Amino acid sequence: MIAALILATVLSQDYYTPQEAQAVYKQANEAYDREDYASAKQGYQQLLAHGFEGADVLFNLGTTCLASGDLGEAVLYLERARRAAGGAADIDANLVLARARQLDQVVGGAEEPFLQRLVIATSSEIAAWSLLVSWVGGGALLLLYRFLRPGRRAWAGVLAALLLVSAVPAGLLVAAHAYVRETVSEGVIVAKTLAARELPADSAKVSFEVHAGLKVRLLESAGRFVKVRLPNGLEAWAERDGVAEI
Amino acid sequence: MRRTGRALGSLAMLLTSAAALADVEFYQRADRNEVGLDDTFRLTIVVSDAPDSSNLQFPSSNDFEILSKSQSSQMSYQLGGGASGVLKRTQKYVLLMRANRTGDLTLPPSVLTIHAKSYRTEPVRITVKKGHLQDPRAGAQRGSSFPDPFRRFPFPSVPGFDDEEDSLPDVDVPRSESDLFLRASLDRDEVYVGDQTTLSIHIFSRVDLSSVDAVTMPKLDGFWSEDLESPSQLTGEQKVINGIPYRAYLLKRRALFPVKPGTAKIGSAEADITTGFLFAGRRVHRVGNELSLKVKPLPPGAPPNFSAANVGRWRISTEVAQGQLQLGQPASVKVILEGKGNLKNIVLPSLSGPASLRIYDPTTSDKMANSKGKVGGRRTQEYLVMAQQTGSFTLPPLSFPFFNPETGRYEVVKTEPLTLTVLPGPEGSNLLAQGPSGAKPDGVSAKNVLAAGGLRPLRYQAHFTQARPPLWQRRFFVPALLAPIGAWLAIALIGFVRARLTEEDETSLKRKQARAARRRLAAAEKLKLAGKPAAFFGEVEKALIQFLEAKLGGPLAGLTRDALDARLHAAGASEDRRMEILRVLEACDLGRFAPGADPSSAGAGSGDPSTALRYARGERGADSASSPYARGEREARERVLDSAAAAMEGWESR
Repeated sequence: MIAALILATVLSQDYYTPQEAQAVYKQANEAYDREDYASAKQGYQQLLAHGFEGADVLFNLGTTCLASGDLGEAVLYLERARRAAGGAADIDANLVLARARQLDQVVGGAEEPFLQRLVIATSSEIAAWSLLVSWVGGGALLLLYRFLRPGRRAWAGVLAALLLVSAVPAGLLVAAHAYVRETVSEGVIVAKTLAARELPADSAKVSFEVHAGLKVRLLESAGRFVKVRLPNGLEAWAERDGVAEI
Repeated sequence: MRRTGRALGSLAMLLTSAAALADVEFYQRADRNEVGLDDTFRLTIVVSDAPDSSNLQFPSSNDFEILSKSQSSQMSYQLGGGASGVLKRTQKYVLLMRANRTGDLTLPPSVLTIHAKSYRTEPVRITVKKGHLQDPRAGAQRGSSFPDPFRRFPFPSVPGFDDEEDSLPDVDVPRSESDLFLRASLDRDEVYVGDQTTLSIHIFSRVDLSSVDAVTMPKLDGFWSEDLESPSQLTGEQKVINGIPYRAYLLKRRALFPVKPGTAKIGSAEADITTGFLFAGRRVHRVGNELSLKVKPLPPGAPPNFSAANVGRWRISTEVAQGQLQLGQPASVKVILEGKGNLKNIVLPSLSGPASLRIYDPTTSDKMANSKGKVGGRRTQEYLVMAQQTGSFTLPPLSFPFFNPETGRYEVVKTEPLTLTVLPGPEGSNLLAQGPSGAKPDGVSAKNVLAAGGLRPLRYQAHFTQARPPLWQRRFFVPALLAPIGAWLAIALIGFVRARLTEEDETSLKRKQARAARRRLAAAEKLKLAGKPAAFFGEVEKALIQFLEAKLGGPLAGLTRDALDARLHAAGASEDRRMEILRVLEACDLGRFAPGADPSSAGAGSGDPSTALRYARGERGADSASSPYARGEREARERVLDSAAAAMEGWESR
């Protein structure tokens, strides 16, 4: 009871100190443990609202949603956690569970393109730092090579060559991340049932129906509607409110 | 529905034996729970469908004494859906009792023995105080609007019969249709939401009834209702209203559970009734009275997870068929709720357990048990629990909060936690059974099976980060990437500029070389004093050659004296100048390679007679009076040095 009061007081604040954020996180974990999923979700969402993000909070929120049966939000937050962490075993396992409970079965072409899989499997931060370190370090060693006396500069030359060569794949990976980020927009169906129509209008014919938890690609938007593409290539217009961007 | 108004006595006698086999209803109750030592109270014992051979023992206690006993019996016969009917015989015993001492006393149960089987009633708790206490029921009786002589009918000397809860209601007789009218009544005027009140509809008649052809129940909007009694046969009871004897026939009795607070209205019931017999019969239509009921809201302070429909008196329990099972074998867990209240509207808590146990949706079965006009019963939810791995798992206790209208408070009943022990799967035991002499074969010992699956647990530690754009979109990234290229370009540019800035023309270069030659000559002057003639002459020669290279533009080292002379000539040097230079060079050669020779003799062997002659006439001629060595080497070196300096200066001033 006292803990609940403290949690309520902390949740109502506009700003959290790191210690308060850790306390909220712990309280939310405890709420999950006693199956009070509503309180747990509220705690994690407050942390996100106050800028305390990261794969841990997103994973716990997604797992709580999954435990409480909210499939759409579960997949949404777990996908966000996967992006934030650059892939992790527990995130993947819970995502597999969530997809197993999903109502929609997409027939054919369910696998994501290579570039997207590559981007999901790697961390953009690590790739960018690798590029930066190898390129700048290689350049610096090359300069050093220029100023060192002949006979005492071979090591600098070899090291510079190695770094500059390793900068090539790192640069390609960063380019892939940048390309996917700029061109591929993905979302998750969060509405329990969402009608996908042939045109962006309420009166348009319904092409098919999708359900909570389905991951789709967002192509373009028009008014209240957004054009979605299923992994097998099916495309239609769905109401924007029923889809959340990852 | 058609009802007949005559009791079929003969048929009833034939079916007496069948009635004996029916379930026995047996209970006792006191008319007061609090009495004085000077007061009496009545204990009513009711036995239904007990055979004649049964034996009833009244409660016996030293704390109480029985002042008088009375007995009555009532028989009714109901036609069922089939051909046979049910005869019901009810016997009532009323004991007039008095307490012997004060305190919270317990009246022991009565015992009914039927064919060596004993039935016991519940004991009755009575608080006894000193003196005389007011009977709470006496006032109510005195406040009745009209006396009811029938209250003691048909046993006027037997008290207690009029205390039964299913006693007929007090009614007002309509001015018209006073010989046959329809009346509805509620057993309580004020209830909580979800609590039970019982609606009874009677026909009061002073004429013979043939049948009731149709009964229209009032609309029961705002109520959840449950049928308690719908007699297929009219059974009349005598009732005297305003001194006029009536027969009262029960048409319907329903339990009502209001679903919202406020004042609930219940409309009129209607019935088509046929009076008289055969050709003298007459059909009339009667409309009953309206009723109102005050429904109180549930008080605040409900416990967590309370459902508004959970009103009554309940107890909850769990049962598991076997606490120890093998992997792959399902366990049946029953959650049982029993008590009084609107069972069909009750919301039971769901069974939950650890992720290692898969709990399937339950099957629900209700068994209604209406006792003494109160709805209740038993709800059983049976869960199928399938273990996903071996181990010992605990199903947490279930809490069931409800509102008890009798106490006016919320109560929470709980189950005990259940422990399930899951042993390894059956394949292990099958293999063990095949082993010789029951020994455990190698490699087939029971395994603790840990199957994958289920939700991965939460992350205990949090590492918070803030949402930021990717690294390549931050300001420093592109400049940092371009920095090495910029550095290389900058260094190349600096080198180029520096090269341009340090570029020299031929004149300045020659001037520089001439200056260097002079510096060299100055250095040679130091060697002159150091006593190193070879080094001295070498430096003088190099200085002079370097000077000439600067002036003539091109390498001169290694040229013969003739070739050098030709270059000097070609460069426009005068003959004296050329001779002077050649002479100095000759003297240097002598000084370097023939240190013992007199350098002043240089030019004698040069092949150029004029040069040698001039040299001899010059410096040497002046010193000829003395010995060559007498003038000393030092002087010779001074002369060479002076000659070289003069040659250079002469060239500059040319």
